[in-house]
Amino acid sequence: VEPHPDRLSVTDDGRRSRAAVFFRVFLVIPHWFWFGLWSIAVFFVAIAQWLVILVRAQPAAGPHRFLERYVRYTLHVSAYLFLACDVYPPFGGRPGYGVDIESIEPERQGRLGAFFRLVLAIPALLLTATLVGWGGGVRGGAYGFYFSFFTVVGMCSLFSWFVSLALGRSPLQLRDLSAYALGYSAQVNAYCLLVTRRYPNTDPTALLATVARPPAHPVRLEGDAAALRRSRLTVLFRLPFAIPHIVWLYLWGYACNLVAIIDWFVTLFRGRSPRWCHQFLSRYVRYQFHVGAFLSLAANPFPGFVGAHGSYPLDLVLPAEPERQNRWKTGFRIVLVLPAFLIAATLQFLLVIAAICTWFASLVTGSAPAGLRNTMAFGLRYYAQSSAYLYLLTDRYPNASPLEGTDPPPPPRVPDPVWDGPGDDAQVEDMPADEPETE
Amino acid sequence: VTARRAAILVAVAAGWAAAAWFLWRSSLPAYRLPHLSETVLFPAKALHEAQSYGFGAQLFWLGGTLTQLVVLGIYSRYGVRWMKESAAGPVGTGMLLGMIGFALVWAAQLPFAVLSVWWDRHNGLPGSYLAATVGNWLLLGSEFVALSFALAVAMNLARVRRIGDRWWIPAAPVVVAITLLLAFVGPWLLPSHSLHAGYVTPLENTEHVHVPVRVMSGTQEPNAFATGLGPSRRVFLWKPILEPPFTRRDDRFVLAHELGHLAHNHIWKSIGWDALFTVPLAFLLALVARRRGGMGTPEAIPLVIFAYVVLSLAALPLRNVVQRHMEAEADWSALRATHDPAAGEELFRHFVVVTRDDPSPPWWDYVFLENHPTALQRIEMMRYWKENYAAAQSP
Repeated sequence: VEPHPDRLSVTDDGRRSRAAVFFRVFLVIPHWFWFGLWSIAVFFVAIAQWLVILVRAQPAAGPHRFLERYVRYTLHVSAYLFLACDVYPPFGGRPGYGVDIESIEPERQGRLGAFFRLVLAIPALLLTATLVGWGGGVRGGAYGFYFSFFTVVGMCSLFSWFVSLALGRSPLQLRDLSAYALGYSAQVNAYCLLVTRRYPNTDPTALLATVARPPAHPVRLEGDAAALRRSRLTVLFRLPFAIPHIVWLYLWGYACNLVAIIDWFVTLFRGRSPRWCHQFLSRYVRYQFHVGAFLSLAANPFPGFVGAHGSYPLDLVLPAEPERQNRWKTGFRIVLVLPAFLIAATLQFLLVIAAICTWFASLVTGSAPAGLRNTMAFGLRYYAQSSAYLYLLTDRYPNASPLEGTDPPPPPRVPDPVWDGPGDDAQVEDMPADEPETE
Repeated sequence: VTARRAAILVAVAAGWAAAAWFLWRSSLPAYRLPHLSETVLFPAKALHEAQSYGFGAQLFWLGGTLTQLVVLGIYSRYGVRWMKESAAGPVGTGMLLGMIGFALVWAAQLPFAVLSVWWDRHNGLPGSYLAATVGNWLLLGSEFVALSFALAVAMNLARVRRIGDRWWIPAAPVVVAITLLLAFVGPWLLPSHSLHAGYVTPLENTEHVHVPVRVMSGTQEPNAFATGLGPSRRVFLWKPILEPPFTRRDDRFVLAHELGHLAHNHIWKSIGWDALFTVPLAFLLALVARRRGGMGTPEAIPLVIFAYVVLSLAALPLRNVVQRHMEAEADWSALRATHDPAAGEELFRHFVVVTRDDPSPPWWDYVFLENHPTALQRIEMMRYWKENYAAAQSP
């Protein structure tokens, strides 16, 4: 399978001009006007291109370049607006911007696929809606911008805005998440506008293949990355099968909240959680993760009821022993965790849509698409990290980057063909299967 | 050892029979119902429609039940193959196997459920395809919670070395305790509103039962039920029974019937009967489970599920006899409270017309499906009371 042509390149260094950040919405106004005019032209050109492909099964070169530039320009302006990049974007959609996609050459396209392009794009459009909103970044003009606030990219930009104003830098993990969301949106645009015939790929490890990984987080994923087989029967009845787990999780949650209150007082006093609290809460967070993975089809087997480590093919590694924790961070934990949970909440929408898409795909093929599985694994991991932070299992803030952290310094951007196309089982980066046990 | 076992068995059987006799006792007199003909009591058209509808419904029940038995029979043989879909340890795997068994039954019975809705609608009765398919798919979740809980109790007990195959002895009281808890808590969880009618208080005074009388919306079937224990006791009337063609006199009779259930402690008695059936059922399941390594092993679960369904089906006629006996006592109680057999007769005539309830179904339908006396038997009781008690007890 050929690699997806519109992979993302991120050369932004994270530095932000405070003034440009503060006035970002106003600075984008000229682009909005230009974007609106360009969109009108794109509407007619796309229809013409559609007819050309239906006749020749090959796009016309001129309209292809025009539409490709439009896709690129949309990405540039969105990246600037949502603080994924700080350089004022050019008006021509030329390559070389801080957050960009690779060039896409005209290629043969199937007539049938082109004819039903917008119907086929519905699942991808739904996923995009959770990432960048119905406006699709700048697509809906000012309204699109407002709608985008309740999405992944909207939440990232909101918190980036405050941090950038304070520090003059954007957190790289938030930038990566925004870049991922906008990059996927660009893939969807390219697909809908017939720039490429290849279906958008949600896999964060593929989309951000050239981006440096963040430092390792004490709460991380492990498991068998190739475990994509799904039992059609348990997929069909996945929700009813999960209900006993949901009831148990709900009951356990009550006990967990009581223990968390005790744990908070003790940690505030001693600077370290009691071991039994740590173990109890670790089990709960891991169990929550297992149930989420089962329910969302990120993993196949029916999970156990006790959150035991090593019992599930998609597992969560948590600190084995209570760590020393900063008392200030402990004291204000419930406030500090709010941004993480807001981002986690927007990722839950992504998770739900991805799970529904996976449900249909697994029923038909008996296998989960690797890209969707990795996306769901990221959403579940981020939620688990947020829970671990709330329950004082670690005082490391959740890693918002869709890429799993790594211990050794990451190699400089290596443009390896990590992603090998939909249905490929080679996505091992996100879930190191044979890392040493920490618990 | 054999003699000792026989003695224990006799003692247990005697205890069971004594408990059953105690629970069977009622305020019903030794009566002999007059024999009436349904062709005289009901219009030919209503009778034909009820019998025609009943025939279809019986056919679908038979088809659904046979399908269930065949599916679970095959599942008991090959179900262990799904063990590989679990990462949950023996007990969790047992739960999954139990749920898969019932999920397969649901899938196999789906055509019958859809046909039943079609048949209901064809006969002018309410029915929703969405509820029969997607709704029931979601309802499987609550069924699975109960199943998982029961299996968790039984399997965990069976895995305790000192209990082992005798798990059924502690498991039966746990199941009964849960039944008690649900019976106690359940009425508070049902959405409803109060019934304001002049006949409520006089009836409650007559039957010496003072409980809230509630109305439930959201259903298209005319019905009512009494539930709860102690402070949670309540009577629920489904909204359609308060609407035409049912009259105020009919509703008064219905309420008296439901209050009769509470006045004669039928909820407690039902739980008592549940306990009496649960103990031998659990014992037989333990015997079946031993063929596959005991209840503590997940391999036994598909066979146990099959045995459970077969034994429940076998016990159904006996349970229906018990339930019909209590319903007859509630009818009798309603007659004594209202002194209005004409209202009762009108009520049961309306039931036949509105719900297409066959007044004299075939014997096997009566044995397996009817947990109330037939409409004909109930009208016969109204006539019997009128002839023998009306003059003596009229105010």
